[in-house]
Amino acid sequence: MSSVNNRMTASSIGNTARKLAAPAPAKERRRTPLVVVPAAPRRRSLMFVISCFTVLAAALVGVLTLNIQLSEGQYAIVNLKAQQSSLSKSNQELTQQVQNFSAPQNLAAKAGALGMVPSAGQGQIDLDNLTVTGKAVAAVKDPKSGLVQIAAPEIAGQLSVVTALPDQQPGQAQAPETKTKPVAPAAPEVPKVQLNGGSVPAPAQRTPGN
Amino acid sequence: MSTGRNNRKGGATRVRKRLRIGLGVMLTLLLVVGGKLILIQGFDIGDLAAKAESLRAKTVTLPAQRGAIEDINGNVLANSIIRYNVVIDPSTNTPADTFERRDPKDPTRVVEVSRDQGLKELAALLKQDFNAVKAAATGTSKYSLLAKGVKPDVADQITALNVPGVVTQGTSQRVYPDGSVAGGIVGYLQDGTTGVGGIEQTQDKLLQGTDGSRSFEMGADGLVIPQAPDKVTAAQNGQTVRLTINRDLQYYAQQVIQTRVKSTGAEYGIAVVAEVGTGNIVAMADSNAPDPNNPGGSAAQDLGVRAVQAAVEPGSVEKTLVAAALVEEGKSTPQEQFHIPNEYTVNGQTFGDSFDHPAFNRTLAGILGYSLNTGTVMAGQRLTKQERYDWLKKFGIGEAPDIPLPGVSQGILTTPDKWDGRQEYTVLFGQGVSQSVLQTVMAYQSIANDGVLLKPRLIDAYIGPDGKVQKTPVTEVRRVLSPETAQKTKDMLESVVTAGEWKDAQIAGYRVGAKTGTSQSPCDNGQAGYCGYTASIVGMAPMDDPKYVVEVLIQRPKTNIMGIDGADLFRDIMGQALRMNNVAPSTGAPVHLDQYGPGGSDGTQK
Repeated sequence: MSSVNNRMTASSIGNTARKLAAPAPAKERRRTPLVVVPAAPRRRSLMFVISCFTVLAAALVGVLTLNIQLSEGQYAIVNLKAQQSSLSKSNQELTQQVQNFSAPQNLAAKAGALGMVPSAGQGQIDLDNLTVTGKAVAAVKDPKSGLVQIAAPEIAGQLSVVTALPDQQPGQAQAPETKTKPVAPAAPEVPKVQLNGGSVPAPAQRTPGN
Repeated sequence: MSTGRNNRKGGATRVRKRLRIGLGVMLTLLLVVGGKLILIQGFDIGDLAAKAESLRAKTVTLPAQRGAIEDINGNVLANSIIRYNVVIDPSTNTPADTFERRDPKDPTRVVEVSRDQGLKELAALLKQDFNAVKAAATGTSKYSLLAKGVKPDVADQITALNVPGVVTQGTSQRVYPDGSVAGGIVGYLQDGTTGVGGIEQTQDKLLQGTDGSRSFEMGADGLVIPQAPDKVTAAQNGQTVRLTINRDLQYYAQQVIQTRVKSTGAEYGIAVVAEVGTGNIVAMADSNAPDPNNPGGSAAQDLGVRAVQAAVEPGSVEKTLVAAALVEEGKSTPQEQFHIPNEYTVNGQTFGDSFDHPAFNRTLAGILGYSLNTGTVMAGQRLTKQERYDWLKKFGIGEAPDIPLPGVSQGILTTPDKWDGRQEYTVLFGQGVSQSVLQTVMAYQSIANDGVLLKPRLIDAYIGPDGKVQKTPVTEVRRVLSPETAQKTKDMLESVVTAGEWKDAQIAGYRVGAKTGTSQSPCDNGQAGYCGYTASIVGMAPMDDPKYVVEVLIQRPKTNIMGIDGADLFRDIMGQALRMNNVAPSTGAPVHLDQYGPGGSDGTQK
């Protein structure tokens, strides 16, 4: 209502000219009245700005979170890859040790060290026709009949399983076994810096109890 | 009123003016920024984009892993493992009097360590002298190699030391867990990459595989940029080669042969075990076999595989081939009797035997059983020269066996037109012709295999990186003998052990057939005459259905040649092969061909 009143008062201000002849008033009436832009939408625009900022902030936070997530994922990948490579390396190392211990030379030497001797003669029992063929002879320890020992593999960095020659005393060959003992349990080296080709060390993890 | 309007008017103009200036500044800035943007993005002045890209982009080679070599049971004979080279940059280390690192006891704390302390710890881990390490770490050079072949756990500990300038570089090391067991066959690598011996050499391409690569972008912090393109061309790992060798039997054979070579002072010894039905080489033992982990530790002549590379005059083992040829050609039978003098002369060439004897009777089987040169020449001359040549050729003499090893010898079998008056007869008992042990073994394999000669199989299968097994086929070379002749020849061989002179070769429970060979060994290096003897024995078992052919050869033993023909070695190795593979004991009565024929030996038996 007040705006209508305003309009009425506004249109009458400063109208000092006299009335002209007949056609003039019609023209006068057609003129669009000048109006002050209403101030009402001001509250709506504030809302709009706030919502804009909210969206912007949300978007920024979203992007930031996504970025953090991605980097975290990247760090996790680096960490897991470091773990994988160290596990596969230690697996390879242990496999290598098993292979070395099971090499025929090393096995034979160990067996000899335990006092085992090659069998002297075998017999065969055929269960189908209940016959015994061949002559089984009890194995005897005969130092003269011993075969020459083939040299153990010379793998660089690999612990030598056999140091004793075949004609040496069984007790002597026992020595390297004690020597290899400390290697068997992989030393739990905690703070290893895994670089994995990059320059950022993987996150160091504490072991439980540390 | 009017002044207020004027003021308002003046204020508006000023605002408009300021707005205009502001807009002008903004537009200029926009123009500058936009222009720069166009310059950078549109025209790319100075290749900035490419430079930036090249800063981020990294391409690393993904090395293909060299395939393993296994024995028939999957025991690894050769494989590649990770080892580290420890390298130091002295120009970085020398000026660093102290450095920081995490406290091993409390990883969250950083401690300061002196240079000497760091180097001392490094030297302790490398098991080197501290002064040597310090000397290597001091200077202005950029590179100094501290240690090679360091194990991963030690390399990790070295990395944890955080000594300035110290880097561990991963390398691939080839290891041979069984060392000299089948060392010559497996071969070795040169410079850690190229195979230069044995299977490593002949199968190099397949073992190597193809290197892959990975292209990615890396930020300044050393992390891979997740959104950037990441192209990976996977490395194609090498194939695993599975041999037909059984490493346990190989080891046993090497031990047996090494023991005999040592006790007789021989130059070398060879033992070969082949499977009859497949041509599989189950063991191929050499004395002084090289350890591929350290090929430099072996003498040059020990590095190869003598069983295929060394051709020697085979001696009497050739008589069996002649006897088989005579039977196949219908020119004799195992029981045909010959009257054999102490010395036999034909075409002005006189031949004697390894022992003196009055004229006596021997059957063809008996000629083999007593290994008579005289009798072999008497019977063998029924074959024309060309037939003798063709028959030896048929048995694979004079042609290189198709086996994937380097330097396979084809032996020397000259054409009959080049034979001199004596050689045309000596080839009948294995002199004037040379062949490798493998050739002899395969010739006997054809007899054992009902007359069919097979290709020797050394590679059982190729196993791809995906685990796909590709078996190599059993290949027939040719039929040499009819099954009937092959059987008759087997009977003659069995009689050598049951009725002839080589009862030592008997194995309890199994029927065995074997033939020895003792030949004079021509001197090496072009010297005239003979230097010692070659003693060998080749045979098969069980005779009711032969499974294995074994040959043992001792080159130039220094002790008395008689009685060291290796029959006991043959028995040991063959016995081990039979028992190891659970071959059922023989059935049926052993064949016992009459060695003398009608009327007996005329009382001349020794």
